[in-house]
Parts: sequence; C-alpha cells; structure tokens
Amino acid sequence: MSQLQARFFTENKKYAIDDVPFSIPAASEVADLSNVINKLLEARIADHKHVEFDFLVRGQFLRSSLASHMDTENISTEEVVEIEYVQKFTAPQPEECIMHDDWISSVEADSEWILTGSYDKTARIWSLEGKAVMTMAGHTDVVKDVAWVKRDGLSSLLLTASLDQTVLLWEWNSEQNKVKARHCCRGHAGSVDTIVVDPSRTKLCFISLAELKCLKTVFSLSVPTEEEDEVEEPNRPRKKQKTEQLGLTRTPLMTLSGHNEAVSAVLWTDAEELCSASWDHTIRLWDVETGEQKSMLTGSKVFNCISYSPLCRRLASGSTDRHVRLWDPRSKDGSLVLLSLTSHTGWVTAVRWSPSNQHQLVSGSFDNIVKLWDIRSCKAPLYDLAAHEDRVLCADWTDSGLILSGGADNKLYTYRYSAYVSDAGA
Amino acid sequence: VERKRSDEDLSGFSRICSPQRGKLDKTAGTSSDIRNTVGNIPMEWYKDYPHIGYDLDGKKIFKPIRTKDELDEFLDKMENPDYWRTVHNKMTGTDLRLSDEQVDLVHRLQQGKFGDVNFNEYEPAIDFFSSEVMIHPVTNRPEDKRSFIPSLIEKEKVGKLVHAIKMGWIKPRRPKETAPKYYDLWAQEDLNTVLGRHKMHIPAPKMRLPGHEESYNPPPEYLLTEEEKLAWEQQDPEDRRVSFLPQKYSCLRAVPAFSRFIHERFERCLDLYLCPRQRKMRVNVNPEDLIPKLPKPKDLQPFPTTQSLVYRGHTSLVRSISVSPSGQWLVSGSDDCTVRFWEVSTARCLKTVEVSGAVKSVAWSPNPAVCLVAISYGETIVLLNPGLGDKFICSATDQLISSYEEPEESKEQSVQWTIAEGSDHEHGQRLILKHPKAVRQVTWHGKGDYLACVMPDDNSSLQVVIHQVSKRRTQNPFRKSKGMVQCVSFHPIRPYFFVATQRYVRVYNLIKQELTKKLMANCKWISSMAVHPGGDNVICGSYDCRLAWFDLDLSTKPYKMLRHHKKALRGVAYHKHYPLFASGSDDGSVIVCHGMVYNDLLQNPLIVPVKVLKGHTITHDLGVLDVAFHPSQPWVFSSGADGTVRLFT
Repeated sequence: MSQLQARFFTENKKYAIDDVPFSIPAASEVADLSNVINKLLEARIADHKHVEFDFLVRGQFLRSSLASHMDTENISTEEVVEIEYVQKFTAPQPEECIMHDDWISSVEADSEWILTGSYDKTARIWSLEGKAVMTMAGHTDVVKDVAWVKRDGLSSLLLTASLDQTVLLWEWNSEQNKVKARHCCRGHAGSVDTIVVDPSRTKLCFISLAELKCLKTVFSLSVPTEEEDEVEEPNRPRKKQKTEQLGLTRTPLMTLSGHNEAVSAVLWTDAEELCSASWDHTIRLWDVETGEQKSMLTGSKVFNCISYSPLCRRLASGSTDRHVRLWDPRSKDGSLVLLSLTSHTGWVTAVRWSPSNQHQLVSGSFDNIVKLWDIRSCKAPLYDLAAHEDRVLCADWTDSGLILSGGADNKLYTYRYSAYVSDAGA
Repeated sequence: VERKRSDEDLSGFSRICSPQRGKLDKTAGTSSDIRNTVGNIPMEWYKDYPHIGYDLDGKKIFKPIRTKDELDEFLDKMENPDYWRTVHNKMTGTDLRLSDEQVDLVHRLQQGKFGDVNFNEYEPAIDFFSSEVMIHPVTNRPEDKRSFIPSLIEKEKVGKLVHAIKMGWIKPRRPKETAPKYYDLWAQEDLNTVLGRHKMHIPAPKMRLPGHEESYNPPPEYLLTEEEKLAWEQQDPEDRRVSFLPQKYSCLRAVPAFSRFIHERFERCLDLYLCPRQRKMRVNVNPEDLIPKLPKPKDLQPFPTTQSLVYRGHTSLVRSISVSPSGQWLVSGSDDCTVRFWEVSTARCLKTVEVSGAVKSVAWSPNPAVCLVAISYGETIVLLNPGLGDKFICSATDQLISSYEEPEESKEQSVQWTIAEGSDHEHGQRLILKHPKAVRQVTWHGKGDYLACVMPDDNSSLQVVIHQVSKRRTQNPFRKSKGMVQCVSFHPIRPYFFVATQRYVRVYNLIKQELTKKLMANCKWISSMAVHPGGDNVICGSYDCRLAWFDLDLSTKPYKMLRHHKKALRGVAYHKHYPLFASGSDDGSVIVCHGMVYNDLLQNPLIVPVKVLKGHTITHDLGVLDVAFHPSQPWVFSSGADGTVRLFT
C-alpha cells in the first residue's frame, strides 16, 4: 500500500491543474505533495513561482503523512482520494505594539482607526500605525467595552461602556480631532461589560456581568441624529440623573430577562436576533421584536465570550474550561457542539471569527496566547501568537485582515494577516 | 630300535594310568613286549616265588635280581639325579625312568588339569537357546507327528469333566460376596454434614482433677470438723461445695469401694447431655468490603479542578477573603495593612484601602440590598462601603447608615461606635467600632444586620460580641467564659449561634438563650468552622490536621473525621448551592470534597474527596490561610501566605 490514487483540485483558478488521478506515495507529507503540485504547475505555466500549499482531505487539513491521516479518518485507500489544495496560510506578521497605561479591556478596529478601552478609565483612538489620535476621558470608572457605531465622512460615532454603569455615545470629528459626548445611556445596576451595535447601526445592546437575576439585556436606541424620539421607559422607571456635561440621558427600550446568572457576552446574529451567553452555562437567542427567547443552547461550563460568523453561520464560544466550541445556533433547544478546539490552557476570554474566511477564527486566553484556528484542522491551531506577557483580554479581526489583541500586559498587538484570504474565502 | 623304545615307554605309561587299556596295548605290542597276565591281584601273592607272573605265552616272568637293599636304595637316592623320576613297576619288577612329557603329565594331573595339553576347557560357550528368535532352527528336526494329533488322553480327561459338570457333580465356583455384612448406620449420610459435624465438634468439658480432698489420706486441714460435717449433711445436695466427705484412712488397702460411684457417673453423663453447647458464629469478612463504595470523583462534577487566576498585589500574608453576594467582587485582607477589592473575572484590583493594622478578617455582608464589608484589624472593626456594583445600592447603603438617629437614652456599651470622617470616609469607611481587645474574626448573620466578632481571651467573659448595625447596639451574649473562643458562626436559617472553643463547638439558641448542643470535636485545637447552608451540618478544621464533619441530627460526635491534610488546617468553607466543601491547610493545598446532604433524614451525608488543589507556595511554614467559594459557580478561592489569592475553577 505504498501508492495511493489521488485526484487534486482547487477552487483557485490560478493554480488549477488537470483533473487526472495521480499515483502518489502513501507516506508523502504536506511538503511532498506541495512539491508535486508545484512541479505540475511549472509544467503548465511558464513563469510559475514556487508556492507552498496546504491540503484538505474530505475537509480536514492534512497534518501528518497521507496514510496515517486516512487511517485516523477512516478513509478507504482503495478508491481515488479527492485532495483539495489551497495556498498555505502565511503566518500573521506582527505589525505594531501599542503601549497603554493600563490593562486593555477591549479593542475594536475598522479600516482606519483602532478604538481601545482601557482600565485607566479612558478610551483611545489610534491610527493603524500605532499613533495615539484621541483620548476620551469621561467615565468615572474602568472602560469595559467600546464599539464603533457609524462613520459619516469625517465624523464618527462611537460607544464606550464602563464599570460606572453607563454607556457613553461619543461623536468624533477626525479632521478637527474633537470629541464630544452626545448621550449617556443608563439602565444597568452594575458595570456594563459588553456593548454591541446591530447591523443596521440603529440599535445597540449592552449587558452587564453584574446583573444577576434578570438577565438583562437592555438595548437602547441610539439614533445618530439630534432629534430623537422620546424613548419611553419600559420596565423600570428609573430616577434620571442628570449628567450635564455628558449629554442627554437615554433609557432602555427593552429588557430581556431569562438568564439565571451573569451575562458575559452578547451579539447580534442578524437584524432581529440577539444572542447572549451567560455564566449559567447557556447561550440564548432572543427575538428582538417581541423580546422573547427563541432557543437555548446548553453547555457545561461558564461562557466567557461568543462570536458569530455570518459566512458559515456558526457560533464560537470561549469558556472557562479551556475549550473553544462551535455551535449551530439554528438547532432548536439542543446542546449540539459541532466541534471543540482544544489547545488553550486557561480561560478563553476572546473569540473572533474571521470576517472574510468562513473557516478561520482567532481566540485569546488567560494563558497569554492568541491562537489562530482553522476549523478544518481542529486538533491544533494554525498559529500561536505568543506575544503577550500577561492574560489576553480582548481580540479583534478587521475586514482588512488585521488581527488585534490586547491584554493585561498593557500592550495592544496588531498582526497583518495575509490578504490572500480573499480568494480562498469562498 | 628307537621305535621300540618309544613303544615300551608308552605302554609302560599307559599301564600306570589305565590298566584296563591293556587290550589296546596288545594290538600295538611287539614280540618284545613283556606283559604280565596275572590280572589285578595283590602282588604279595608272588612274594615267595621267583617269578611274578606269566606272559602272554604262559611262560613265567622272572623277577629281576633284586640286589638292592636299604643302603643301595639310599645311595641311589643320593647319587642318582633321576631318582625322583624313577618309578618301580610292580608287575614287572623293573624300574622305569619317566620321560619329561610323562613328568609334565603327572604335574598337570596333580593340579587337576586335563591331561591333554591341547584341550581348552574354557572354550567360549555358544548360547543356542537365547531369547533371540533366529530365522533358522537350532535343530533341523521335523515336528513330531503327535504334535498335530489331538491327545487321546487329554480328550478322555476333558470328556470326564464335561460329563461331571453335566451331571451336576461339579459345580462352577460361586462368585465372592462383595457386600459387607454389617449395617452401615451412616450410609445415607451426606458427606457435607459429616464434615460439618467434625468441624462443629465441641469437646466435652474436662472433669476437675482430684485434689487433696479426694486423697485417702488428706492433710488434716481438709478434714471436716464435727460441726462442719453436720452443716454439710444439712445442706441441700445441690448447695454443697463438695459432694463427698473427705475421709482419712491409714493405708490405701483400707479404702472401701466408693459407694456413690454409679451416682457420680450418672451425674456426669447428665451434665454432658444437658450442657448447652454451641459454637459462637464468627463471620470472616474483609473489613474493606464493609466500607460503602464511594462514587468516582468523575461522576461528581462539577467541582474546581485547575487554577485559573491569581490575584497578585498583596505584599504579605492574606489572612482572610470574602466574595460578594453577586459573585463579581472579592475582598481580601492582608498583614500588609491593606484591604483589596478584586474583580473576580479578570483578577483586577479595583480598590485598595489602607488601614492601620494587619487585617485579620474580612466579611462581605450577605444582604444583596446593602453594600458593606466588615473588616477587622487590631481592636477595630470597620464597616466599609466599597462602592462597587450598583450605584443605587451603594448610595442606599450610605443613606441607611447616615439616617441613623441616636436614641434618647444611650446605654453604656463596651464597644464604641463612631462614624468615619475625613479621608477615611472618602476611602469608603463608614462606621468604626472600637473594641477593648483585639478582634480576630467577624462574621455576618445571613440577613446582614447582625455582626458577630470574636476577641479571643482565655479567661474573660467578653470574648464574643454581637453588633446590630441598624441600631448600632452591641451585646455580649455570654456571661461566663467557657474557654478560648476560636470562631463563631450564625445558623443560616434559625436563630442559633455556633461558638467554637479549643475542643468543643457549642450551639446556642439565641431566642431561648440556652445551650442547645455541645459538639465534641475529638481534636486538640479547632481552627475554623463552617456551617452548611442547610444548617444541619457543621465542619470544623483543626490545627492537628483533621477536619470533622458533624451531623447535628445524628450525634454530638463527628460523623466523619477527614485526615487528608498533612499540616494544620486554617480554613474551611461550604459552597452555597453545590454539594462541595473545601479546606485549606499549611501544607499549601486546598482539598475539595463532595459533601452531599440529603433531605431524607435516614440517609447519611455522602462525603467524597474529589480534588487536591495546589498552587500556593509555602512561606514561613504557612500555606493556605483562608478558603471561600464563589456564591454561584463551582469555583473556590484560596488565600495564602505567599500574598496571593488564587481562583480554582
């Protein structure tokens, strides 16, 4: 059984070869197969340059010799094996290391600017080159989360959530480099830990780890215009406290109750659906229109973070038992774990799907390491980004292929991840 | 001439050795052959005759002239070298000189050998009749004819026997009887019962050996006096000490036959028959089989298994920790005179409050509607509002404290209540309670209004005081000292109060003001105590490495003693919801046990050690100083002498 019949194919037209079965040694590894493909391409294309490839057998990355891989995956060696090849993912290239004064609690970046929240009670805007552009100091306590809302030309709207139980809506003019607090959103009886803006950029949802009983997801309408429809106070009338210099106070539209314990993460899966993960070992999906719970996924450990990929429609969750788990949010009231990615040795505190590749995600953990995963290779991560000297608290992945991670060592690292993903993304 | 001589020699010889061969010699004889024909007669008969016989022709054979006398004989003997081989032939009267061959023949015969030199008497024997079957017969003789013909004699004999059997004269031999002739009483008995009876055999009790009293000539002290004899006779036979009267005889010959012999044998048989004999049944059981099987720790999930977070910041031993009712904050008090507030999920130190002494004990108020932490250092207890969590609750707490109105008649109290002002107030301190003695422990009642504190002192009655925060009142519940108080605790539901002294835990009913129970810990020195959230179970850690679990409904003695730690225990804790309890020890480890308490009163609590958690480094011979559980998750916090607090999940 030293030879196998294999047929190679790829979705990248640039590297397509003839659809002919080849007989290849069973003991060949990734490098051998890569050489074979390169030889074939050289014969086809005159000016071909050597390219490293990775190989997928039935949707799983080849990480050992072909024979042992097929043995563990129970694939028959009698038939012609279909092997897909993709250009090898290059390692993320470290770009910047941005120093903060204190722990970095959250990071969100877009194509131009990086927004970070820090434990020194401020939120900062940085250019992609690592230059501090703006500091927003208004909170009286630790900033727990930040979010971009909208950008209209030079003026941007952004949100910061803090331990002081408020969420501030800021307007930032990048030309004049001026920032102004527009609104102060209240409604939580504890620190606001997570804040998310819905895809239509008109609603936001924020949650607090502290609120125990009623799970609490309040979400407040954030209309970016001046005149706002008077928000009616829904559930709990609250004494409005005027914080004059911070602008108008906003109150919740709706409270979603159901979780038994602290809610650790929340996100919009689409315009009408909200997903929340909690310390009570459940992930719940809510219908925002009616405010009702649609379905529930039950885990066995506390959830720290979740992320949703609209490309593959999977939820990724990070929990205190070191695993990153993938869920199908459409399954009804089941606890169906599709996949467990196990390599971390501490709490997983941040997960983020790639915005452009349906197979890749990044996870950060209390073991100081950020890992880049491809779910087609679930045994081991693609790359370990071990730059942090302390716990990783947050991570982000921008559309432009920038991976960011911040941690308790006061440093924000950015990595450039190969742009080729755009053609492998399909 | 030569031939003649040789013939003569031969014939002479042959006559010596075998006279009957004379006939043969005659054939070989010659004319010169002189042969005496007288036969085998005594030759003395011819002594007086001149001849000695007759030859073949009947002529007289004359005697040779014998002139030899004794002297000639002697001279001949001396001088003739052939004398020894010269023999006298009586038949002819001549002397013969033997040749060398003849001498040799004589010697051989004398030695008992064969006369013929060439005869080998030791020729190898040929074994014709061996066990080996040969292809050729030894003899070639054909078989006899009779061997093919039936023997008539045998036929006759057989015919006679057959006839005799037919006629019944001869009877065939009877088969031997194998059946035993006796009756086997136990033939039907099962072998097992026999073995069993052998096993169960109990020997009859031995009879007492005869002593001096039974002697025919007992020492005089054994003899009964007249009064004793009378008394003996009047006694009931059953009451008599001895069943006979010792008597003295001058010699053994004078002893008469024992008159009660039959009686005595009968009584002995009666004894044996009536004696209730039975064997005590003893069951051999492996003691380990009697221990109930404990479930595997794997099946008792969830419980903390790994160290997740380390809360670093303190520079000295962390004596005490407490978790807020929401589970979001953690407070720790240390010997470096600071109290730190931590965010549980990130290990962030949010607040540090400095006080003027080593912090001995911290306790977060269990009432979720107020935000208060009690801190004890030196002789002071401070009630502190950390300002964490809901701002409304924090401000409500402040309001609650500031809204207190002094009652008109203020009693003299042993404890001074003062309101913190200035910078202390800014740091969150609200109320300061000055005690007369150093405070070692503070603990809250479940409702969060009452606060008990311990001031250990061996012989003072003021060791435990209970404060009421809302009324700012202090009372001393005990009038008498019962030993040095180690720690106290409120019952989570009922108005009971647990006071642990060195060896005992006393349970007081606060309403009836009486002692309800006194638990004996069976250990040298209790260090810590925790009450199960159900209220019916208590665990006590002690400095002699033991953890005692009391079931209050069961007994005042420990239901279980756990000796898993190698060094003194410093802290014990129960989880509020999960069936877990933990103990921290000087050996640097925290042991988490599954402690399931059942509602069914008949079922004893199930205690299974599930995990040893290590992480703290041992500093100054101290390891873990306090343990606390997260209020909602199966997580345990431990504080150690190395200045860290660790979270295990």
